Amino acid sequence: MKALDDLVPVFEHRARLAIGVLLAGRGEISFSRFKAQLELTDGNLGAQLRKLEDAGCIALRRDFVDRKPVTWYSLTKAGRKLLDQHLHALQAMIAETAG
Amino acid sequence: MQATDSLREDLQYVTSAVRQHDRTVGIPVIYYLWAAIVLVGYALPDFAARLAGPFWFVAGFGGGLLSWWLASRDEKRRGVIDRATGRRWGLHWVIGGVGFLLSALPMVTGHVDPAFGATTFLLTGGLIYAFAGVHLERPMLWSGLIMLAAYAVLVIFAPPYVWTISGIVIAFALCWAGVAAQRQRRPVMS
Repeated sequence: MKALDDLVPVFEHRARLAIGVLLAGRGEISFSRFKAQLELTDGNLGAQLRKLEDAGCIALRRDFVDRKPVTWYSLTKAGRKLLDQHLHALQAMIAETAG
Repeated sequence: MQATDSLREDLQYVTSAVRQHDRTVGIPVIYYLWAAIVLVGYALPDFAARLAGPFWFVAGFGGGLLSWWLASRDEKRRGVIDRATGRRWGLHWVIGGVGFLLSALPMVTGHVDPAFGATTFLLTGGLIYAFAGVHLERPMLWSGLIMLAAYAVLVIFAPPYVWTISGIVIAFALCWAGVAAQRQRRPVMS
């Protein structure tokens, strides 16, 4: 199955895929927002974000909001390209399974 | 089969996260701000018509800038900076502002009697709010429809104090939208 070869390993985890999809629809999302949205623990979310960052898929920016430190994440160009590739591969897999 | 089930579960997880994220219910304090502005601004044509123009010039621009600042602060507090949606809102209100200025043109040039021409602002405002409700934030639709209905009543029947009554009804609709937005928002601290 060709679609399987096109899958991007870093997006094969559902939390990392959700992070990519959420970032693709918005500009920047904070760590706390991801935590509430994805219902993950600090440790788990931090580990998933680190893997995406190490793969060059996301970029982070540190800021202060109401005097509290906030980490913002955004999708990089390379990350968007890889996410598109992964989503197309998933689509192809579903089409092949259904057909 | 196991792989298919796992894939289905993963996609359900992603879908649920994205759907949760897509809800836009508005920023309560902005609804309350405009309810106050509309309440005063719509009473002026009935009670102090000469003040209506200067009031809307100051409150319109000031309220717009304050709304922009409040929206930006809210985005940061809620942990989502959505520049694409921000640009859409900005464009919507800039076009709306141009619409308001153009509504004044027939009165400024003396082609239309200001007493009648002023109702055009209600039509323009109604369209701007209704379209914001359709394309950006649903609760605004009701305020827009009330403005359009008030415009029709004003033009056809010309009853007394329609501006004031419209202002009260629109302010009520905006407050109702604010309360609804407040109830739907989940507290998310950055």
